[in-house]
Amino acid sequence: MEASLRDELVRLFDTKLSRQMLLNLETCSRCGLCTPACHAYASMPLPKYAPAFRAEVVRRIYKRYFTALGRFAPVLGEAKPLTDAALEELREAAYSCTGCRRCMVYCPFGIDTQQIMSIAKLLLIGAEAAPEILSLLADVSISKGESIETFKEGFLQGIKRLETQVVARWKVEAGTTPIPTEVEGADMLYVALAGAHSIIPAAVVFNAARENWTLSFFEAVNFGAFVGDPGKTQLILDRIVREALRLGVKEVCICECGTAVRVAKQLSGTQPFRVVSLTEVHARYLREGRIRVKKLPGSHTYHDPCQIARNGGVYDEPRAILGRIVEDFREMSPDPKYNWCCGGGGGLVAMGEDTLDFRMRSSRVKADQIRESRADVVVTACENCHTQLENINAHYGLGKEVKFLSSLLADALVAP
Amino acid sequence: MATLNYLILVPMVYVAVAVFVCGTLWRVFRLLRSPRLATPLAIYPVKKPGWLYAAGDALLLPTVLRHNPLLWLALALFHLGLLALCIGHLELVADIRWLQIVPHAIFLGKGAVGLAMFVCLLYFLSRRMVSPTKELSVPEDFLLLVLLLLTVLFGAQMDWARNWYDYSTMSVDDYRAYLWSLVTGKPSIASVEGAGHSFMLVVHVFFANLLLLAFPFTKLMHAIFTFALNRIRRG
Amino acid sequence: MSAMEYAKELDLRNLPCPMPVVKISKGIKEVAVGQIVKAVTTDPGALTDFPAWAKTSGNQIVETQEASGEVRFFIKRLK
Repeated sequence: MEASLRDELVRLFDTKLSRQMLLNLETCSRCGLCTPACHAYASMPLPKYAPAFRAEVVRRIYKRYFTALGRFAPVLGEAKPLTDAALEELREAAYSCTGCRRCMVYCPFGIDTQQIMSIAKLLLIGAEAAPEILSLLADVSISKGESIETFKEGFLQGIKRLETQVVARWKVEAGTTPIPTEVEGADMLYVALAGAHSIIPAAVVFNAARENWTLSFFEAVNFGAFVGDPGKTQLILDRIVREALRLGVKEVCICECGTAVRVAKQLSGTQPFRVVSLTEVHARYLREGRIRVKKLPGSHTYHDPCQIARNGGVYDEPRAILGRIVEDFREMSPDPKYNWCCGGGGGLVAMGEDTLDFRMRSSRVKADQIRESRADVVVTACENCHTQLENINAHYGLGKEVKFLSSLLADALVAP
Repeated sequence: MATLNYLILVPMVYVAVAVFVCGTLWRVFRLLRSPRLATPLAIYPVKKPGWLYAAGDALLLPTVLRHNPLLWLALALFHLGLLALCIGHLELVADIRWLQIVPHAIFLGKGAVGLAMFVCLLYFLSRRMVSPTKELSVPEDFLLLVLLLLTVLFGAQMDWARNWYDYSTMSVDDYRAYLWSLVTGKPSIASVEGAGHSFMLVVHVFFANLLLLAFPFTKLMHAIFTFALNRIRRG
Repeated sequence: MSAMEYAKELDLRNLPCPMPVVKISKGIKEVAVGQIVKAVTTDPGALTDFPAWAKTSGNQIVETQEASGEVRFFIKRLK
């Protein structure tokens, strides 16, 4: 590695050294309690998948450039300089971690492996060694935000085509637009994904609840967060914040996408609007009696998306919804805080086929957990989890059905 | 030999304490000087009051108890032993009146605390020798454990193996005289040299000095950082 | 609607996020520079995603056709 690049990477590393990060880097006693917490380790017991080991890959470099002991007695902490081999280790550590933060529940100190991995991801970006597809996806999102006028027309045409499907499931009063866009002064801005499946059921439920809503031009998912680029993460989020401010909405509702929910909730800053997940909105409709539902047959279990539940606190709402719309609900994990990650987070699912083999091998414990739930339908509220669960279902021959919570709720709607 | 004893028992102690205090303050200062992220980084559900649960996490190690009860037992015993030994050493400073409750010959605990910690440390070492903790360990981890082991061993030895040596010549008052001379800045090792087991005190103090010197530069800082980090996890 | 010559066809209907963009990024590399890939999608978001992707990745959408609830993009590999 050239000296200039190394200096640049050390500078990038330095930008990540917040108070929280220093604590994460300087506290670990390598007790190893986190080892069985990781689904990758639990599925494939190799030391490199132990959370503390992953963190140590970053920590070794931290010690070498930022600590006295690492500078003067590198051997004691196994401090290592930044080399091409070190970059390769960083890549493996960062992209075998889904950022589920289950290890944080085990750690006696509360060390945040996801935060530490964000350093690894940033260094990879600096060395132009980040997964190309994730960078591209982030750039596409930003490009859309920069020239929305160019793309607006196409989007509106696409939305128009969906309206018949929305009306087929829930009739709206004459004169009401089934999928409203650009409504200034709407109560709620709904931020979906590109796929029709993240728009139609949501629209059906909004219309049933007579919500004064409007659909965002942008997709909710934040690829900047997946690739670990703080600047791009903020740019992608800012498109949505600007749109919400322009329309003057009271709430921004994020679709079933774990990353999108967490990023929007935790990085939007203080705004005149609230950020909520679709699941929370749906639970509210049921609580306030704004929609009526029937109970659907069949046994159902719920997979808590890590970014929404353990890292976002939305535990009760999906259970409140399922309690009203299914006859037979079975918990997957005795304590949802300990739910296994699906194995698809952190950008792994977005990397598609390239990561499929690792995703399947590292999710053996998830497959076991789903099998043991003995439910026929696995429900979840995250696009990434859904894709990964479908893959697991096929790979392990579980014979389950994987459904979105929003779609199940739309199926359970009854006329007032 | 007398010079070496003096160097370890007087100047090295001062240097070690100075490095320990300044180094630790510097580490904490460096932390406070760095920018604070505004992002919430809690694990949910969040319980209130956060500081109380965080203190509970840091002091009672509930996550360890849940996932590895044997390790929890060893950690509890070891850290409580450490606390007891800190009190025991403070008690050796006779001028801290409120601590002088139980009259005793050599040292509170009679080496039993040291023995318990010794067993815990052997367990910690043995854990580090087997996979997967073995792969996680770095030389620093072994070095600190060995230092602790030696410090505790020679400290406790002064009590439980004293019958093997010329025990009667060094009593609690002699330790107190030495320690007080250090505290008051008029160092004298006269009271603790010349006994059959004086060398144990020298070795004990030597390794304890090394531990104090290592503290600000190693993972031993977890003793302080655990409170801050647990507070973040509790939201 | 004119018949368009293409070297490769990609079925990107009903895919989860962000598979349409992931698959077209991969697919375009499987044809020679100057050749055309036909991509069929049902996602409303694709109508904004594909032009933005083409702009970012430096490829060209030469034609867009819409029929029976699907959109067909004809994309020329430029580099």
